[in-house]
Amino acid sequence: MSDITPAKILDLKGLPCPMPVVKMSQEIGSVNVGEVIEVHTTDPGSLSDFPAWAETSGNEVVDTEQGGEFIKIFVKRNN
Amino acid sequence: MDAKLKKELIQTFSERLSQAAKMYLENCSRCGLCIEACHAYASSPETRYTAVARAQNIRRIYEEYFKKGKIAKKLNEAVEFSDHWMEKVYETAYTCTGCRRCMTYCPFGIDTGVIQGIAKMLLITADMEPKTLEMLADMSIAKGKTIEKTKENFATAAKNLEKEVLERWRSEGGEEVVPLDVQDANVLYVALAGKHSIIPAAAIMNAAGEKWSLSYFEAVNFGAFVGNPAKTKEIAGRIIDEAKRLNIKEVVICECGTAYRVMKHMTGEKPFGVITLVELIARYLEQGRIKLDKSKLPGKVTYHDPCQIARQGGIYEEPRYVLNHLTDHFVEMTPNRQANWCCGGGGGLVAMGEKDFRMKSAKVKAEQVKATGAEVLCTACENCHTQLSDLNEHYGLGVKVEYLSDLTAKALVQD
Ligand code: SF4
Ligand code: SF4
Repeated sequence: MSDITPAKILDLKGLPCPMPVVKMSQEIGSVNVGEVIEVHTTDPGSLSDFPAWAETSGNEVVDTEQGGEFIKIFVKRNN
Repeated sequence: MDAKLKKELIQTFSERLSQAAKMYLENCSRCGLCIEACHAYASSPETRYTAVARAQNIRRIYEEYFKKGKIAKKLNEAVEFSDHWMEKVYETAYTCTGCRRCMTYCPFGIDTGVIQGIAKMLLITADMEPKTLEMLADMSIAKGKTIEKTKENFATAAKNLEKEVLERWRSEGGEEVVPLDVQDANVLYVALAGKHSIIPAAAIMNAAGEKWSLSYFEAVNFGAFVGNPAKTKEIAGRIIDEAKRLNIKEVVICECGTAYRVMKHMTGEKPFGVITLVELIARYLEQGRIKLDKSKLPGKVTYHDPCQIARQGGIYEEPRYVLNHLTDHFVEMTPNRQANWCCGGGGGLVAMGEKDFRMKSAKVKAEQVKATGAEVLCTACENCHTQLSDLNEHYGLGVKVEYLSDLTAKALVQD
């Protein structure tokens, strides 16, 4: 289990393409620089999409967690 | 608008002026046969929503910079580039879904898609393209570079889908249920990010005993939605390289119309075939490799032809062949096949949000669905599925919106 304390939890489970990344990009501004959003998703593709999006937007995927009922991705706002 | 940007816009326009584009810009006789063909106009009869009015926004710029003769320019209402006119260019590009229904009614076969392509490229030059589409295209390009770092995580997630795939089809002993990196596979299946685009296809291919491999990349191509040919090519190139690396016979595109259009028609010669998932399912049924149980799908069922798969790709009969194996209660929409109404969500509009316009401009689609009296509305494109689900809610259609692949996977006969 991740020991990161998120500033916000974002439930993106079951959304159609490309809504998870769209919602993420809309929500990142709602936390402070340095804070983390914990994303809940059921999309295998998110595990590659979110790090790629973070790369282009200057943010960072600091951790991921699998094995539970859904996937958790921890995204830190860097700018 | 400053002179430098004007110059760049003229340059962009001239680069897009193929012989076909010139013909489309010069040949319109203003007969108006395309007017009623556009779902946006049919739903909300404003002149700006006609194919001819949208094209005029681009044609008038063409008259100014690429035609000669003062009188002709005046007669043809030539306009210069300006901030105001670029708003019109935006309207041409993003109130049109690129469904090409208008083209099938035009006596000259004027391709609105080509004119829309010019509009989108002008918007990119003026930095006015929708930033959401640009962001998604850039993400896909970055993914091509970062994929080695995330492959392991993706492979774990694919493995974690096993249970849900096996619920639809039991695997033969010892087989990978969601295989990756299969050298010399017959099929490279290219899905979307969501598990709903992987699980049914995996069950169907396993049931058919296919030698297949799941792609690490997503099928959708936002480079095409935003109208940037260089990005479109780079995004598609990731999948082409993967298919070449694995020596794949056929790339099978999931239920995504744009992904199919790009891979099939916009990427030149390739050492492998390209088909849609619905064609693969039809082939399995024809070859007797899978069987379906009609009792799994009670009630009246109708089918929405996705524009990019049907009108653009010519795939009309395969989905109907599959549906005839799924139900005895299939009803056609009217009109259908080539004349089917666009769902109103294409061209990037679903990704951009634009809910008010999407609902307003697709009233005619909602009415068409309602008139079938069907309980189940199925389709073979994720973008259409999202838009049809929104229409279902907005207009209270009371249908269940389904993917053809999911209906198929749920009806697999386990023998
Ligand atoms: S391509 Fe479709 S949306 Fe665009 S003008 Fe033609 S009919 Fe209308
Ligand atoms: S149908 Fe063709 S020629 Fe007639 S107005 Fe429309 S685009 Fe022009």
